[in-house]
Amino acid sequence: MAASSSSGRILTLCKQFQNVFRISSAVNAQQCAVRLTRGQSKHVSEKSAEVRICLVGQHRAVHTSASRRGLEEFFDSPENWGESSVKSGAPWTAKQLRTKSNEDLHKLWYVLLKERNMLLTVEQESKRQRVPMPSPERLKKIERSMTRLDTVVTERETALRLLQTGQEKSRPGAWRRNVFGYTYWYRFKEYAIPWYMNKHYKRKKFFTPLYVQPHIRLRIEKHLQEKARKVRSNKEKLAVLKKKFPHMKVPAS
Amino acid sequence: MPYLQIFLRNSVSSSPLRHSVYQLGNPQLRIFRPNWYLTLVRPGKEQPPDTVQFRIPMEMTKYDIKNYLEKIYNIPVGAVRTRIQFGSNKKTNHLNQKVKMPDYKVAYVQMAQGQTFTFPNIFPEKDQTPAEGSMEEMQNKFMEDEKQRQKLDPRRGGVTEWFGL
Repeated sequence: MAASSSSGRILTLCKQFQNVFRISSAVNAQQCAVRLTRGQSKHVSEKSAEVRICLVGQHRAVHTSASRRGLEEFFDSPENWGESSVKSGAPWTAKQLRTKSNEDLHKLWYVLLKERNMLLTVEQESKRQRVPMPSPERLKKIERSMTRLDTVVTERETALRLLQTGQEKSRPGAWRRNVFGYTYWYRFKEYAIPWYMNKHYKRKKFFTPLYVQPHIRLRIEKHLQEKARKVRSNKEKLAVLKKKFPHMKVPAS
Repeated sequence: MPYLQIFLRNSVSSSPLRHSVYQLGNPQLRIFRPNWYLTLVRPGKEQPPDTVQFRIPMEMTKYDIKNYLEKIYNIPVGAVRTRIQFGSNKKTNHLNQKVKMPDYKVAYVQMAQGQTFTFPNIFPEKDQTPAEGSMEEMQNKFMEDEKQRQKLDPRRGGVTEWFGL
């Protein structure tokens, strides 16, 4: 078991990042990592992300007995407790994320996830104590970063799938009509039994019965009437304006 | 690496289709990039020292929580118990419509290896004196000056300006 440092935090630097992570001799390695990952900027380099997320790398972090480091990650660093505002940087943009490798994105996801859990904890506690939460915009930044990360990953997956198989969609589906006469994209669901043995599925109607045709016709009429109404109202407006301002130029819309 | 697979049996980011049908002999179901978020809450009722209380998304199960905490946070988990808290439907808004508070799932996690946890005080009273020559100090001084200007003449002894003289 590794001995605790004076700061009480234990970090086993993954072997591959020991040479990469350059720190001054005066600064404690762990404190530097903590400062980097916590709050200063969301432009967290992947290097600093690695130092914390050793478990995703090749080496598992050494666990010491009675270390609450796990649960401490649900809270901000103690210097920020009681502050009215905490500084944080800009969220990740999709453009920046596209430059990162898959492993880095994977690790960044977990960094963002832990930060988000921490912010949610602080938010709930602030509601409980009836105290304003310090810097609530951090939550929005994290959320946006995570959605952008998701978009980038799905983009890559789609590209790979298109190249390897030519399938545009990951989940198979088909165009089907429903009882109301609408044609929609039905997405397939995975079952353990074939469809002809599935009672619930057989009750669903993927066709439009004949008695629905009048209702469809009425719907189409309504839609066409609304379209015509719009065109007519625009024309009438223009006519009124032309009467009032004879030399008016007709807008090119 | 998961991203090289084509039709991912193992789901990405725990979408609603995560529970693809499992049959005997299938490989272990895995989730990459889970988008489940836990909130550590202060317990309303007194809990034993090894118990931690979380608010979790409805879709999570006890096994999910155990794996989540063990793999992502390195917390040794002993037992997990969950319950669903019904959010009240009694409140009304200013339009006299019923307002539903959201339901949420609560998990009581007991840690293994004799670890204990007490919910800390995250909002301690801090001395808010701003640094010398800083923006906050100037702002505070300005506000105080403004308030001083609004006050009446102290020589009037608390009498309002409404009375003449």
